[in-house]
Amino acid sequence: MHYKWKTGMWAWVIHRVTGLALTFYLCLHIWVVSTLSSEATFNTTMKFLTSPMFKLAEIGLLACIIYHSFNGIRILIVDFGKGAYYHEKLFWGLTTVGVLLWLAGSYPLIMHAVGH
Amino acid sequence: MKQYGIGSGGAFAWFFQRVSGLFLVIFLLGHFWLLHYAISGEFADFETVRARLALPLFKVLDLVFLYLAVYHGLNGVLMVIHDYVHKGFLRIVLVALLWTLGLTLLTCGTLTIATFKA
Repeated sequence: MHYKWKTGMWAWVIHRVTGLALTFYLCLHIWVVSTLSSEATFNTTMKFLTSPMFKLAEIGLLACIIYHSFNGIRILIVDFGKGAYYHEKLFWGLTTVGVLLWLAGSYPLIMHAVGH
Repeated sequence: MKQYGIGSGGAFAWFFQRVSGLFLVIFLLGHFWLLHYAISGEFADFETVRARLALPLFKVLDLVFLYLAVYHGLNGVLMVIHDYVHKGFLRIVLVALLWTLGLTLLTCGTLTIATFKA
């Protein structure tokens, strides 16, 4: 198979990788939330998940969510709209907005992790 | 001819992956807002969740969110398996494992939400 490593190809590869990461997170999330069967266990677990290590990991989670959502919207525009004509511009436009959103969302997470 | 990709019968999966994705983005915005901003304490504690799940509407929305997310995520993994694993036996084993994981997640998630006594 021959791959053409252009914007669309990278967009697709990152979509796959972030998708797999998010599915892995979904499994953990469903497991963690199942502790709702006991009030004490749930609160202890949630408290544990506010530790700095998890807050920093959430920065990566946020990056995956923003990328996968934004590129997903781009896929919808390409498949159902006229996005095929401007998919690269769309990719870089959405990436710019996504990075800004990620920085804005990471700020409180970092502040929380360093204890402010 | 050696067959690559998802093969026949993938039209619905292709379409519904997009539909479920769109709804997941919308649901996720609400999920983010409710669990990271519209809370009083440092994190969404049991009492916060209890108050919300006391409303049947939240239980229904959470179940729909759960089903869409599990479907979308595991259908994505299925596409990856179909793309890279062409050997019959390994493919069957992986798909069987995926179905087991899916049914476990759906059962676990449904029990968490549906049997919650608010």
